[in-house]
Amino acid sequence: MTSDLSRFDPRQLRRTVLEMAFAGSTVHIGCAFSIVEILAVLYRTHLRYPGNEPDAKGRDYLVLSKGHGVMAQYACMRELGWLDDHAIKNYFADGSHLKGLSDSRIPGLEVTSGSLGHGFSVGVGLALAAKRHGSDQKVFVVVGDGEVNEGPIWEGALFSAHHQLKNFMVIVDENGFQAMGRTSEVLELDSLQRKFEAFGFEVMSVDGHDQQALDQAIATLSSSGKLSPKAVIARTVKGKGVAFMEDDNRWHYTRLTADSYRQALACLELEPAR
Amino acid sequence: MRAAFSKTLAEIGSADPRVVLLTGDHGYALFDEFRKVCPDQYINAGIAEQNMIGVAAGLARAGFRPYVYGLSAFVPIRVLEQIKIDLAHDRLPVVLIGDGAGMVYSHLGTSHQSTEDIAVTRVLANLHVYSPADRHELTRCLELSTQASTTAYLRIGKADRGDVHTGPITASVGDLLLVRQGGPKLAFLATGSMVRTAIDIAERVYPEAAVWSAPFIKPIDSVSVIDIARQARTIVCMEEHSIHAGFGSLISEMVAESAPTRVLRIGVQDRYSKDCGTYDFLMQEHGLDATSVAERIGQFLKKA
Repeated sequence: MTSDLSRFDPRQLRRTVLEMAFAGSTVHIGCAFSIVEILAVLYRTHLRYPGNEPDAKGRDYLVLSKGHGVMAQYACMRELGWLDDHAIKNYFADGSHLKGLSDSRIPGLEVTSGSLGHGFSVGVGLALAAKRHGSDQKVFVVVGDGEVNEGPIWEGALFSAHHQLKNFMVIVDENGFQAMGRTSEVLELDSLQRKFEAFGFEVMSVDGHDQQALDQAIATLSSSGKLSPKAVIARTVKGKGVAFMEDDNRWHYTRLTADSYRQALACLELEPAR
Repeated sequence: MRAAFSKTLAEIGSADPRVVLLTGDHGYALFDEFRKVCPDQYINAGIAEQNMIGVAAGLARAGFRPYVYGLSAFVPIRVLEQIKIDLAHDRLPVVLIGDGAGMVYSHLGTSHQSTEDIAVTRVLANLHVYSPADRHELTRCLELSTQASTTAYLRIGKADRGDVHTGPITASVGDLLLVRQGGPKLAFLATGSMVRTAIDIAERVYPEAAVWSAPFIKPIDSVSVIDIARQARTIVCMEEHSIHAGFGSLISEMVAESAPTRVLRIGVQDRYSKDCGTYDFLMQEHGLDATSVAERIGQFLKKA
């Protein structure tokens, strides 16, 4: 645990995402960019991996329920030394093991996701297990705002509140988009804060790209004395970090050309550090 | 059979604190014994089967051995994707129990009748499928489940048809069990509730038939199946399940590839129950009563 901001630098993480996106083919860029700061803050300050081992016994759990953002997690895992440059540069090469959606067989990825609404419940089970073991392990589940269309999210919300899983925290990447359009156009979500509160969660809403605000919200909720599960509603921008991708759903699932790759890298350098 | 289930499950729970029983708000008195001897290991997860499977996956990842109970119309049918992605993909040691399989809920209609569960589970990689015929097979399946190195689905159908074995059995996973001696030319292969029917038909109408019970649909001892097929002129498969992609289909696939012989599949045709009534009425409506099955076999043998 360290708050050294040079680690998990969002700009470097986004560079890795672009590098992978260009090496790969059609990929989920926008979905990865919106969770970069969320993952950076979690890995930098909150997740405990004894011995820096992704499978360490007693570790905290990061469950990427929105597996579509997995390139952002690969970028963090590269920084942790869990993935080498070869794996990054050969993304999607025949026979390579890093897929376009998360696969639990990769050390560091706790669940197989991509079909949405699964990781939330698995995270609830992990939190229940920690509680039953009397362990202080924490579970952080990252879901998309589109993903909360899925019924099991709300089944799991009821369950986690009923079982007082105070070690369970969901972080909603509220980027306002899902695959086919704005969430408000597809299925209006209204206030996710109020929804999770109504389900018995302790909730905070923050700017999901402001690392300090995220860090504070996660720390505040983690140290709360309440028995309820926690939720952070992280307001984010899909495609964050590259101006021409921001808030433009064409970058949900697409491929980079040599030109757009070069332009994206240039844009990234113009972005002010936060 | 249900008493054996309650008793064995309670024994498993009290012997291993890692065992957690999750139910989707079903089971009623079935879990009285379990709740008495290991109350802290029982969780009613509510009417929320998808979450229940995910929770079981999380528990299993962290070292627990969950048993997940539901009606087979819901577990596995409703939660098939959770079983595939959250459990079987990683061979998590979770035992799924689907009760009331087949026509058990004869008065309740299509939502509670389950004639697709074998089909959808046997296609999932890493998933074992058990289908016991009596209390002895059920007890053995549960015993074996405690050592399972992967996810297992235990199908429990009509439970009051009487024993097909004379006492406790020591089968291994995959074994086909000979439950009635007969000649080599006519073999009845049945699973679950239809094993009793197969024996009755053999006793009454086809004394030359050998009857085999298949408490394990996956994995299944292919050597035994092929051996039976090499000697038999006719195999009759019986199941309280759709004939499409079920047990009879499995045997047909194996036989067609390695020892072609004639296979008659007895089971539910490509339709849902139209009316309701007693279990016996419904089985008759689907042509699964002993008399109808015996007639079908007679017609099939004549065509040979």
